[in-house]
This record gives sequence, C-alpha cells and structure tokens, in this order.
Amino acid sequence: MRRYPAYDPPEYVDWEADPELVRAYRSALEDDAEVAGLVGSFDEATLLSFYRDLLTARLHDISLKRWVRQGVISKAWLGTGEEAVTVGAVRALEPGRDVVTPMIRNAAACYLMGMPLADLFRAYLATPDGPNGGRDLHVGDPGRGVIQPISHMGTNAPVIAGVALAFKRRGEPKVALTFIGDGASRTGECHEGVNFAAVQRLPAVFVLQNNQVALGTRAAHHTVGDLRRWPDQYGLPSKVVDGNNVLAMYAATRAAVELCRGGGGPAVVVAETFRMGGHATHDEREARETFPAELFEHWGRRDPIGLYEAYLAERGVTADRLQQIEEEVTTAVEAAAEEALRSREIPVDPERALYDGVSEGGVLHGLAVRPV
Amino acid sequence: MAEITYREALNAAMVEEMERDDSIFLMGEEVAAYDGAYKVSKGMLDRFGPQRVVDSPISELGFAGLGVGAAMVGLRPIIEFMTFNFSILALDQVINSAAKMYQMSGGQINVPIVFRGPTGAALQLGAQHSQACETYYVHAPGVKLVTPATPADAKGLLKAAIRDDDPVAVMEGELLYNLKGEVPDDDDFVIPLGVADVKKPGSDVSIITHGKMVHVALQAAQQLGKEDIDAEVLDLRSLRPLDVDAILDTVARTNRVVYVEEGWPYVGVGAQIATLIQEEAFDHLDAPVLRVSQADVNMPYNKRLEQATKPSAARVVEACKRVLYV
Ligand SMILES: Cc1ncc(C[n+]2csc(CCOP(=O)(O)OP(=O)(O)O)c2C)c(N)n1
Ligand SMILES: [Mg+2]
Repeated sequence: MRRYPAYDPPEYVDWEADPELVRAYRSALEDDAEVAGLVGSFDEATLLSFYRDLLTARLHDISLKRWVRQGVISKAWLGTGEEAVTVGAVRALEPGRDVVTPMIRNAAACYLMGMPLADLFRAYLATPDGPNGGRDLHVGDPGRGVIQPISHMGTNAPVIAGVALAFKRRGEPKVALTFIGDGASRTGECHEGVNFAAVQRLPAVFVLQNNQVALGTRAAHHTVGDLRRWPDQYGLPSKVVDGNNVLAMYAATRAAVELCRGGGGPAVVVAETFRMGGHATHDEREARETFPAELFEHWGRRDPIGLYEAYLAERGVTADRLQQIEEEVTTAVEAAAEEALRSREIPVDPERALYDGVSEGGVLHGLAVRPV
Repeated sequence: MAEITYREALNAAMVEEMERDDSIFLMGEEVAAYDGAYKVSKGMLDRFGPQRVVDSPISELGFAGLGVGAAMVGLRPIIEFMTFNFSILALDQVINSAAKMYQMSGGQINVPIVFRGPTGAALQLGAQHSQACETYYVHAPGVKLVTPATPADAKGLLKAAIRDDDPVAVMEGELLYNLKGEVPDDDDFVIPLGVADVKKPGSDVSIITHGKMVHVALQAAQQLGKEDIDAEVLDLRSLRPLDVDAILDTVARTNRVVYVEEGWPYVGVGAQIATLIQEEAFDHLDAPVLRVSQADVNMPYNKRLEQATKPSAARVVEACKRVLYV
C-alpha cells in the first residue's frame, strides 16, 4: 500500500517484505491441515475482501491522526500494527447474528459488523447524529451486534459473558466475542468474567490481544507467567496465533466460534501482536523512549498489511488489482470522514441532548429548579 | 516560598515525606518507569528505586488491597489511582478494609494509607472518566478526604495525609496540575486535616465549595464584585473531617449560602452541607441554601454538552443573586 511518512510508524515508511517472514507467514497458513483447507479454498474475491478490511482499518486510523494534527480532535487511540487481530477475529463472526464488544483499538470491528464508517468518525467528533448522539467516544449499535464498550479495563469480560449467558438461556446459536488486552487480562473483573463463562460453558470467544504493552508498561513488567497459557487456568480450549497474520487470526477465531455454536464454548484466541504507536496519539514519542527500540524494529518488519500483500502476490494477485482496491478504500474512507465533518454543522440543543434518555427526564425531585 | 505548579507541589510533598520516613512508598499504575500518567511522580523512581516507587499491573482492587495489608503491618503506602474513576474498582478494599479495620478491630489495627489521584472531569473524557468521586468516599465513616485547590494546599494537605494514621483520600484535579502558585518550601509545611480556608472574604453571600470548584467560585465572586455584591468564598479543603465551625461562622456573617460542587446533586456533598446548616444555623438564614452542581446526567463527550453539564461561574452568580433576592 501507499505509505504515509507523516503518519506511519517510521518502520513502515520504506517497508519491504523480508522473504523469510513471508515464508513463515505462508507456512502458518499451510502447516495446519484444517487451516490450509480453509484458506486454500478462498477465491480471489475473498482474499481481497480481507485486504480491503485491513486497509480500511489502517486508513481510518490515519484519518484520525490527520485530524489530531489539524486540531479537529485532541487525541485518538489507534490500532496501527494490530489491524489483523481485529479484522481476522471479527470476520469470523456473522453480522446480524453474533455480538462483539470491541476495545478502542478494535474500532474497525464496528465497521466490519456493518456500522457505517462515517459513524465511527462521527463518534470522535461527537456530532448529534452520531450513534450515541455525541454522548460518548466509544460507540456501538446493538442492532448490528456491537455493544459499546466500557472504558474501564477488564469490565467487558463479564459483560460479554452475560451476553453469552442470554444466548445460551434462549437457545440461540449466537456467539459473543470480546477482546482482552494483555493489561486488561490482569484485572479481577476479567478473571471473574472468564472463569464464570467457563463454568457456565457459555458461547463466548475471548481474544487475548497481547500487543506487548499496556499504556507505558511492558507485558513482562505486569505479568510473570506465560500469557499463552493464560486460558489453561480456566480449562478453556485455546490457540496461540500470529496476530499480524489476518488469515491465521480468521481461521483460529472461526474455529473458536464454531466450537461455541456447537455448545463447546467458551474458547480463547491468544493473538500476539504489537502496538506500533503510543497508547494514544499524545504519547508516541514517550512510548518510543520507554520501550526498547528492538520491539519496534521486530514488529515493524511484520506489518500485517505489507505481509498480506506479499502473501497475496504469491497467491497470484496482481499489484494492479491491489492498487485498484486501495484507491477504492481510500476514496471511501475519505468520503466517510468528510461526511462526518459535515455533521458538525448540525446544531445541538443542549437542554434536550443532555436530559434525553435520562430516566427521570431531568427533573430532580424536591427541587423547583433543575440544578446545573 | 517558591512559585511551583500543583503537580510539582504534590511531587515535593511525596519526595520530602519519603526522604523523612523510609516506611513510605508509592504504588500504582505507571507511577515508576513512566513517571506517572500525569507525571506527578516524575523522577521518583530514580530517586527512591523500584522498592519504593512500584509500578502495578492494571489491578486497582489488588494494589489497593496490597496497600492496605502493608499499612496494617507498619508501612505507609501512597496509592496512586490514575484517576479516582478507576478506584471504583478498588472500593471494596477502601470501604470494607481500610475504612473499617480500625474500628472493627477495636483500635488494634490502624491503616495509615493515602489514596490519591485526580477526581472529576477534565476535557472530553466521557462519562466513565469524568466523575467527581467525593461522595463515594465520604459516605463511609473511616476514610478522611481532602480536596486541595491550590499548589500550597496540595503540598500541605498531602503531607498531612501521609502523616495521618488513618486512611486519607487526596482528590486532585487533572485540570489543576499545571496551576502555579506560591508554595512554602519548608519541610514541615503541613495543613491540618479538617481546617477550611476562606479563599476570599466577603459579607453579602457565602459561596462554600471544595476542590477545583474553588476557582469557579472565585470567578463568580469577582463577577459579583462588579455589581457591588461582596461574596465570601469558603474552601472546605477537607470533607472529612469537616470544619463545621468555619461553615457556621460564614453563615452567621452573610446569612446566605450557595454550595458549589463538581459532582452530582443527588445525595451530594452540598446536600450534606445544606442539612448541616439548616440543623445548626437555621436562625441565621435569610434564604434557602442553594446548590450549583454538575447536571444530574452522565457526563457527555460532546464539548458543548460537557460545558453545559459542568457548574459554571455564571450559574454560581445566578444562584447567589437568587439567595440575595436581587
Ligand atoms: C480499570 C482501569 N484502570 C486504568 C485504566 C487506564 N488505562 C486505559 S488503557 C490502559 C492500558 C490497557 O492495556 P491493555 O489492556 O494491554 O490494552 P492496550 O491499550 O494495549 O490495547 C490503561 C491502564 C483503565 N481504562 N481502566
Ligand atoms: Mg496491551
């Protein structure tokens, strides 16, 4: 794909595929018979649909970063370098049927479940026509199976387990999925939620997204044990996956989803990846000062999009075809961003917007005048 | 005296106390290698080492509990919450352990622990990151709570909190960290807990408040001054213990009260103060006590809505005029 020196991590700017990594990427998809069968059966259109989704996720984040530079928004939490985790996992769900609670870095999940891209941008701009009317930056659309996340770490694990509990109780063949950061996996709530889901045998998929860091703390600094074996303590089936390999992510999550549909849940996918930027746009420099440069170098060579392009080339997809898709996606993302910017012109009625949806209708009993 | 920021004042308070007493240590998310999410603990890891400046996993309940245990056997932990919003996850240890142990053990075990970090809203951080958490803490007997509004108060109150033998929550303000002010550099500059401070004397109406809202109150007092209304601003500084005398004193002088708080009105701090005043100083009142607070809604992320939700100087002015019947 076209590189964006002003926005990309420096490792991506002159990115070139390392033949050895391409080989490893490919063998991850060919060595396991089940994965090979699935992935080998993909036609070009299917393969390209993943490419399209990866690009959408990347360009969505680049647009946000551009807005931060322009002062349109003050900061943004990005999934740069982690796109394949979100895309691979959520593509394994069935939109209109399953439910996902994305973390902020998994914003593309909303789009993959069918939410308009412009709505993701509207969420950042807090426009009145956004999915929650500008009330929160985190968004969802229950009609499309996206439950807006709670920003406190770990809190979504029991919530998604509860969603799965409802599915099971009603006998619906649906699956609930959430992402759990390496940092979030250390919380009590996460433990309680995953454990109880396991005890109840709920149709929940937990994607442990180990991006090696939690804010300014390296995983090795917050965890002594091996995160790959984290699912074992709950007795859950799990698979460790290269989170930068979108098809491997897809295959593993799909297997987990199928297990859940058959009553064998919960299941875990441990995705290993890396956050190629700061915790958010404000501390990118600090992240590079805090973490060893080798981490960025190591993972920088594993750009999930660059590697997928190399893989597609080996599968016979032409560069022209990729470029054509990239142009389409770029146009669509830009149009969505423009559309969202126009929503800023919609006037807000503070009185209505504030109290709408508040159960008491804004009138506090015992007070003649609403205290503000 | 030196002019320093609120952030530097907190840092100085911790550093001075840790130099003085080896049993004090700081623990929380990102406090060590990253210098604190808001850089309050800048340089402290280098100065005191990883045994005394301890990074924790994302485990509010866990590290609050570790702090409580360490305090029970003689250490004096300072627990930093990245913001008090996250401390909601730790409330079991705060309310069920720290607050109760001294009394429930018949005075055998005390818990000298400090919980600190920012409370309330900053800018556009959404409902779950913008809560003023004071009432969650002061509701339970056994936890003291201070809310410094200026760099000097930040230093003096944090030092007092660290030296206190009970659990003390020190609620700061993210938007105050860069505020500059004169701060005594005396190592023993300690502001006793439970002593309010008249931030601006006045005779017509009392604006009683705490924390970051002191600045909103002062702004309102200034605007009222232009209309020849002389407002007094009383900063409680400490919500437990409460300086009841200072409250009754200002009521006796002005006979009119407006309480300003960042939190919600429902069962808020202002509700408690209004009750106290009507119970203890009813005869001094010339008007009902009014409150200015955050709107009774979850904080919206939209900038304009956020502004409309927060207490403002204009609303304080309006409330003062109402109690003055002008
Ligand atoms: C309970 C709680 N404590 C602290 C925070 C502040 N915080 C936001 S994100 C984050 C790090 C999360 O790390 P991880 O779970 O690994 O997810 P990542 O950011 O790497 O995607 C922290 C500490 C929070 N959101 N919730
Ligand atoms: Mg992480």
